[in-house]
Amino acid sequence: MKGATLKLVMLGKRFKGKTGQMNALRDVNLEIRAGEFITIVGPSGCGKSTLLNLVAGLEEPTTGWVEMDGRQIRGPGADRIVVFQDAALFPWLDVKGNVEFGLRVSGVRRKKRRERVSEYLKMVQLERFSRARVHELSGGMKQRVALARALVLRPRVLLMDEPFAALDVQTREEMQSVVQDLWLRSGTTTLFVTHDVREAAVLGDRIVVLSGRPGTVSTVLDNRARRPRTLEDLEVVEAIRRSNDILKQEVQWSNQLRAQL
Amino acid sequence: MVEPATSPAVKRNREPRSTRNFRHLIPMVVVAVAFVSIWELIFRLQIWKPILFPSPGAVARVLLDLWNGTVLVRAIGVTLSRLAVGFLISLVLGALLAFLMVHFVTFGKGIQPYVLGLQTFPSIGWVPLSLLWFGFSEAALLFVTIIGSLFAVSVSFADALRTVPPVYLQAARNMGTDGMDLILRVTVPAALPHLISAAKVGWSFAWRSLIGAEVIFATVGLGFLLGRGGDVGNIAQVMGVMIVILVIGILVDRWVFSRTQEWASRRRGLIPNR
Repeated sequence: MKGATLKLVMLGKRFKGKTGQMNALRDVNLEIRAGEFITIVGPSGCGKSTLLNLVAGLEEPTTGWVEMDGRQIRGPGADRIVVFQDAALFPWLDVKGNVEFGLRVSGVRRKKRRERVSEYLKMVQLERFSRARVHELSGGMKQRVALARALVLRPRVLLMDEPFAALDVQTREEMQSVVQDLWLRSGTTTLFVTHDVREAAVLGDRIVVLSGRPGTVSTVLDNRARRPRTLEDLEVVEAIRRSNDILKQEVQWSNQLRAQL
Repeated sequence: MVEPATSPAVKRNREPRSTRNFRHLIPMVVVAVAFVSIWELIFRLQIWKPILFPSPGAVARVLLDLWNGTVLVRAIGVTLSRLAVGFLISLVLGALLAFLMVHFVTFGKGIQPYVLGLQTFPSIGWVPLSLLWFGFSEAALLFVTIIGSLFAVSVSFADALRTVPPVYLQAARNMGTDGMDLILRVTVPAALPHLISAAKVGWSFAWRSLIGAEVIFATVGLGFLLGRGGDVGNIAQVMGVMIVILVIGILVDRWVFSRTQEWASRRRGLIPNR
């Protein structure tokens, strides 16, 4: 299935904090083309995760709305799947059971389920581990399972919340190329949150830089480097430099702001 | 792939079950033998009269007589079936109450202190009320068993449900799970090791309540045999039945609960494979 278009309109979210109302996000406007890979970077606490949760429908916006293919999102749905930072795999199921979970709930028949599960396990190169338990997997393998669990549902939008932040550098780069390959094959619209500018530049068609407190879109950088990309590509290096400059300013800003508060 | 070629996933070295169990039991058997030996030794010192302090042999003989006359077998059967019914009802009601307490936070906050208080309330304290309501009947025994364990079950079930990491629920909701499906497919399996511990706590409460009530007003059952032994001054019977009650407690704890707990924990790597 092809990816969906997304439109974030005046999107805002306030939380009740200890010191009264806290703006996590304010007036976020963003149009995302079908099948586009968007990476989102920003200083910590700028509401990056909140943004994904709003698109996933796991949280309700305080202001504004999100449209998918022109229709407003209300509540969660299996057409928008989140991959969480710590994979959030279910430890009471084995690898196969985890990948199968979403298909099971949506009532896909057993035979079809089996086919799809083994297809997607093959895709993330884990078919030998289908019977393994979650605690027996390395961090990288867990994220592969999480990817398979998400993609097996053939979502129209894939939402990734700093999925590789906890991995070592080598595994992270490997996973970046896995994600890139899978995305090239599936054409799913992808929103990928990270605090790693290099990761953002390797993966994103566009890099959205958020500013902190309240989180809002600071700059959107076009990144037309040819795919598949690696960190060594000149165009990627250039994109890293540009986004780093902007991000540095944003971090300075938000630190100054925090000092004033 | 940079993953190691030999997977840690498929290795499961285990000794055959029989030898494992046997070795496990050695310290227990040693303690039992030591206990009986010291008992016998004290008996032979003749500090107290045999009518107050019987020998292990005398207790064993009484138990054997009770066993041969099928009195003991029947008592065990009756008591265990009462326990099964009472404990099951208590589990169902406790699960329901726990769910309400966790799901409706305000309700939980309001009711939790009372449930905690009632948990510490001695189950024997329910006997007079139970007798007035149900008379000298099976229902009265069941009532004491249920009410004596219900609150402990609710509190520990509620605690177990609260251990479920929110990210599991988020992930499941995200994949389209909702309502009862979410509870059965995610909440319960996620909390399972804790739920088993909770059931274990509940069973010990139910067991204590039932035996207590039986001692006071049953006409058949282990507690009755115990009380009866006391009434007629048969100290060997009293001690013998106490030992039976203890042994049943140990067996249920080890074979029913510890084993399922171990299974649930091992499945998710909370304890390493031996």
